[in-house]
Amino acid sequence: MSLKRVGILLGKEFLHGSKGYIFIFSIVAPLVISLMVSLIFGTLFTGKPTLGVLDEGNSQLIPMIQELDTLNIKEYNSTPEIRQAVESGAVDVGIALPADFDSSVTGGGKAEIEAYTWGESLAKDRSVIAVTITNLIREMTGQESPVDIVAITLGDEVSTPWGDRMLPVIVLVAVFLGGLMLPATLIINEKAKRTLEALIVTPASIAEVFTAKGTVGLIVSMFMGVLILVINQAFGSHPLLLVMVLALGGIMAVEIGLILGILLKDFTALFTVWKTAGILIFAPVFIYMFPEIPTWIGRIFPTYYIIQPIVDISQLGGGWPEIAVNVFVLIGLDIILLGIVASMLRKTQRFAT
Amino acid sequence: MARDAIVAEELTYRYGELTAVDHISFNVAESEILGFLGPNGAGKTTTFKMLTGQLKPKGGQARLLGMDVMKNVEKVQGEIGVCFETTNLYEQMSALENLNLFARLFGMRSFDGNALLERVGLPGRGKDRVETYSKGMKQRLMVARAILNRPRVLFLDEPTAGLDPTSSETIRNIILEERERGATVFLTTHDMLEADKLSDRVAFMNQGEIVALDTPHQLKQQHGKRALKAKVAGDDGGLEDREITLDTPETPEAVRKLFSQEKVITIHSEEATLEDIFISLTGRGLV
Repeated sequence: MSLKRVGILLGKEFLHGSKGYIFIFSIVAPLVISLMVSLIFGTLFTGKPTLGVLDEGNSQLIPMIQELDTLNIKEYNSTPEIRQAVESGAVDVGIALPADFDSSVTGGGKAEIEAYTWGESLAKDRSVIAVTITNLIREMTGQESPVDIVAITLGDEVSTPWGDRMLPVIVLVAVFLGGLMLPATLIINEKAKRTLEALIVTPASIAEVFTAKGTVGLIVSMFMGVLILVINQAFGSHPLLLVMVLALGGIMAVEIGLILGILLKDFTALFTVWKTAGILIFAPVFIYMFPEIPTWIGRIFPTYYIIQPIVDISQLGGGWPEIAVNVFVLIGLDIILLGIVASMLRKTQRFAT
Repeated sequence: MARDAIVAEELTYRYGELTAVDHISFNVAESEILGFLGPNGAGKTTTFKMLTGQLKPKGGQARLLGMDVMKNVEKVQGEIGVCFETTNLYEQMSALENLNLFARLFGMRSFDGNALLERVGLPGRGKDRVETYSKGMKQRLMVARAILNRPRVLFLDEPTAGLDPTSSETIRNIILEERERGATVFLTTHDMLEADKLSDRVAFMNQGEIVALDTPHQLKQQHGKRALKAKVAGDDGGLEDREITLDTPETPEAVRKLFSQEKVITIHSEEATLEDIFISLTGRGLV
């Protein structure tokens, strides 16, 4: 395989393929859906997260929080008061600092904080508060003190905001529109117009042609995935892990797109497959939209292994230990699909007849 | 003695139960033009695809320039130029963009697209989108694309089908120029006159087999019948046609009788056409 020729073909796709309506649609559609969700569910113009504090011992943590621009802070005098504030949504998270909090953490003890969390607060707001408090405690003690924030959700457990519930849908649309539909349509278009025939009688191999088309899909898929997470401020505290998961998800989308591109002869067939088999791709998002659906159902579908690590990182503040198993499953699925693509390319000879 | 640029040995291809190409063998010398003729479904395009590395033969072997095509696809494809029957250009791109793309895929560092366009009769149209071109212009651009890498073997599939006489003549001239340059030409066509005019040898293909392969002259000698065609004055004052088959024992007597008994107005000899020969060999026409 010649990377130079792949680069030449890639340049052609970006220069001339980018005028195609699927290319434009795969960029515009996720943005429009994301903006609509943000507007409808009010996550677009939300301000800074608000932290409620019950300070029983004049902790140094309070002035440190007050100096920050990233959080609003409200102080309360009793546990019932702060619980009431959280339940009513006046604050996103309420924490109670015991009288001996400072001496306990500076003495090397484990900092355990009860955090009352409003059920409808945005995941990103909770994440910002959790990360900020952890960092400030470590700054205060001058060491990597263990910080254990115990979240207690007040109100209805299933009242996760719709903005958060919709995020997996939007991310999956972004990843799969670019990753799956772009390579599939580019290949079908080349087959329909018989230009693929012309390419494969040059020194460029069919593998190089398909690699270029897959790379276009992967780049657009990842770009849109990252953009959607940026717009929704859902990067969490491990952006590199998130990009890695998006890349693995994009690879899965591209591989499925290549398989469809090889198998299908025209756009009508592709859109029929997209409409009917699309349920297999998007099924896992229903467990996030409707938390009462058992999680094991989602595990049946391959795209679960893209969405769950993204939710773990962006909404639940997770890191590598939390996502490792799902990421390994995702890598395994990518390898299997790659094998299928390679096998189909070897067996399929008549692309243009 | 010229070396063989193309060698097909027992080349076979099957689509399921249907044998499209059935153990055909032939060779084409360097700088030779081989006309490959046959009706639709005869197996011409399948042979074309096996020779250009698009299809892997189910049996036999194709060698180009001494290389096994399937084992050296990339090298072989770097030495060939292919012009397809159906237009397969990037229509949203300009002519120059089309040519530049393929020149880069062939690894050409210096390439003058405008000169090539001028050569195929498209001067000054390089920046126009291909979708604005007429069929003849597109076909000329396809030929330009096929020769841009100065191929050692040029494959042309019906290069003049459906074109106006000017475009056809331009393309025929280019084929002859390419042969002069040293390229071997494998020409698939329905046009018997074109094949007769351009080809050093022609192969007739029918139902997956090569039924005849020789120079047009030899084929006519071996399989065709020559005739004298005359117009004579009729009894009613009009003209009547007379035809005498040549090269038979009865020919001299028939000619003597024609001139002694009839008033000959015009007379000319007529050779068998390649189409006549194809029909006599296969019992069917070319379409």
